[in-house]
Amino acid sequence: MNDRGGRLLNRYFLYLVLLNMFVNVIIFVPKILIEYRYEGAVMGVVIAVPIGMALTYLYSTAMNQFPEQGLPEIVEQGKHRKLTILFFGTIQFMWFTAGLITLIGFIDILSRFVNPEMPKLGLLGIYLAGIFLIIQLPTQRIMYFLEIVLLINIPLISLIIFKAFINEYLSWDSILEVGTHIFTRPSLKAVAAATYCFSGYMNLIIFNRLIRGKLKIWNFTAILFLGLFNLFTTFLIPIGFHGSDGAQEYLYPWISTSDSLRLVYSPIERAIFLFLMFYMSITLVSVSVHWHVAYELIKGMFKGKISKKKNGLILGYFTVLAVLGVIYFNSLLLNRLTVYWMIFRLGVEIVIVAGFVLWARRRTT
Amino acid sequence: MPSNKVIAIRESLKSKLQPSEDLVFKEKFTKEKYLEVLYIKTISDEVVLHENVVKPFFETDSPEDFLNYLQSHAQIKAYENEQKAIDDVLRGEAVLFYQDHVFLFDCKVDRNNAVLDTTVETTIQGPQSGFSESLPVNLGLIRHRYPHTSLMVESTEVGRLSKTKVMILHDSKFADPVTVKRIKKFLGEVNIDMLETGEQLFDSLKKSNRALFPLMLVTERPDRVAVNLSNGKVIILVQGSPYAVILPTVMKDLMSSMEDIYQSYWIAKFLQLLRYTAFNVSMILPGLYVAISSYNPEVFRVQLALSIAGSRTGIPYPSFVEVLLMLFMMELLIEASIRLPKAIGPTATTVGGLILGQAAAEAGLASNIMTVIVSFVAISNFVIPINAFSFTIRVLKYFILLLSTLFGLVGVVLGFFMIIAYMVKLDSFGEAFLSALQSKPGKQ
Repeated sequence: MNDRGGRLLNRYFLYLVLLNMFVNVIIFVPKILIEYRYEGAVMGVVIAVPIGMALTYLYSTAMNQFPEQGLPEIVEQGKHRKLTILFFGTIQFMWFTAGLITLIGFIDILSRFVNPEMPKLGLLGIYLAGIFLIIQLPTQRIMYFLEIVLLINIPLISLIIFKAFINEYLSWDSILEVGTHIFTRPSLKAVAAATYCFSGYMNLIIFNRLIRGKLKIWNFTAILFLGLFNLFTTFLIPIGFHGSDGAQEYLYPWISTSDSLRLVYSPIERAIFLFLMFYMSITLVSVSVHWHVAYELIKGMFKGKISKKKNGLILGYFTVLAVLGVIYFNSLLLNRLTVYWMIFRLGVEIVIVAGFVLWARRRTT
Repeated sequence: MPSNKVIAIRESLKSKLQPSEDLVFKEKFTKEKYLEVLYIKTISDEVVLHENVVKPFFETDSPEDFLNYLQSHAQIKAYENEQKAIDDVLRGEAVLFYQDHVFLFDCKVDRNNAVLDTTVETTIQGPQSGFSESLPVNLGLIRHRYPHTSLMVESTEVGRLSKTKVMILHDSKFADPVTVKRIKKFLGEVNIDMLETGEQLFDSLKKSNRALFPLMLVTERPDRVAVNLSNGKVIILVQGSPYAVILPTVMKDLMSSMEDIYQSYWIAKFLQLLRYTAFNVSMILPGLYVAISSYNPEVFRVQLALSIAGSRTGIPYPSFVEVLLMLFMMELLIEASIRLPKAIGPTATTVGGLILGQAAAEAGLASNIMTVIVSFVAISNFVIPINAFSFTIRVLKYFILLLSTLFGLVGVVLGFFMIIAYMVKLDSFGEAFLSALQSKPGKQ
């Protein structure tokens, strides 16, 4: 099972990127893009593709020089122990917040569309139980789990996307209308949101432990086309369904879009429930992947194996922030915060990638 | 006359073996010779003893010839130490005291050597006979199906009191040496008093000694053992049990029937698909019913939602009580029909399944749809080919039922994926439980 994918296409790398492409629906990417559809979102998307691809390429080829090692293993022998601790302690927060926004956003969706009567903390409880079970697994096993989840879910999401594309109520005119705004000056917020689709590569910081062999050009080609398709679907399908003006009325454009789909012969008539069930598992695994990275980075701050008490403290830290987040953030506040988080994330990503590429070059030559 | 050393051994052995009804000590004389025999008659074959020892003793004239005869006999070995001699006597060997020598003669009776028919893992076509309860016969059955020099057979003892003989078989060409070493280490560390059959090792596989998933495959089919040997698995045979243990076991093994290789390709694929569907149905369906009828009836199209709600109109309690009640009834029915004598078994199923189900629906204790779901779940459960695994699923559905009662649809989906995550976590001697391919030696 282990070393079959490495020849033409490294599937583990692809899964990580694909996961982020799926989860952008929860983390407000469509909402942000649609909000700026007349103010530079189209150009933003166009620009985001080369930026995202360049970052992906640079970072993953630099990481590729350390086969089967995550960052904690790479810097283990380094001299600047204190610097490493500081660095890990800071950047783990990026992954933690990425997971946290997804989690809070999806719990909000669940309490709106599936369980309106249930307290949000109850939903958080079951999610945390699942996430904590998963993040403590070895990295390899999380990848197995991710693979299984994608394997179960990809037919489902393909069906929904297929149904969306062939739907007679999809207005291509609205899509074209938004397309005419392509030459508007791009907005930074839209660029930042659109690059999120590509930023799955950042998980390599830990998941590089599983990547053996060189990443081939095929990986990047696949990511390019998947990213283009994904951005198009994320951004323009809701516009096609709700009209170029109407689309901005929705807080979760894609959830509302999936509610416009009807599966005529299926016992489950409203596609929204298939869609939500799909996202229940995708959110679970996405938050787990992000938090696993954060968890492993925090573990990398300590030498050797961590004790049970420290492990409990890490999970406690996750729990406390998640509970506070669910209590204090309503969906509008979360949406506004996410916009700035996206810009911040893009900046941090560029700094990390540039720094790492330079550092790796100095180390290997 | 025997020397002092031999007398000392004899007296010591006699005192260690408490005098019991079936302990035999006999002395035999001829003009030149003097032989003493010590054995337990209930587990030693007296006919064999007579043919091989007593008769030659009286037929041979010179003492040297008889000594030579004893020393060259294939089933006679020299005495090593007292503890081993006692162990062997307790297994049915006889101790011979002759001149200055002490010998052990292997005359064990093997009473359970009849080959049994398969009753648990039946197939329509293909071999129909299983193992016997005798270790040598079982080994012979496997060797008969797997005639290769690379088949390695080693034996050890497990169980503090029972000292059960256990054989470890593997094909040195295919099996991963690391896995074999792990399994031997595991057998050496098993902490158990009485080992009667391989199934007892289920719990020992986990550190906590509490297992839910069977991480080894227990089979009664020699053909399955032979096929698995050729796939690089390690086989454990236990004295006195008609079941062999196959290690390491992944989920794919637990979902496979021997029929898969006796049927043609597409039919086997279809049957496998059926099994995996049944696995999911039997795990999820009760929980899904609760989630949909109590939390999110709008999931289904309106006609279906109405017909479910309609059939529940007369039911005076929430859906999870209804499900629990019916599942409880079903579990009792299954247990009863396993324990009942074969002659009454079918009656119980008829009374329970048909009449009770119908009556419960008419009495307004459960909806008609619930009755259908419960029988669906039960039948799906029986489709799982390995019995130990189908018991696991019987328990798992309550986990999902609990989560769906508390959280609705979210509980069903997350419960299902939590179970998958747990299965991803499991491994059997280094082999991930959900892996789809068998690992080969030489690769990590």
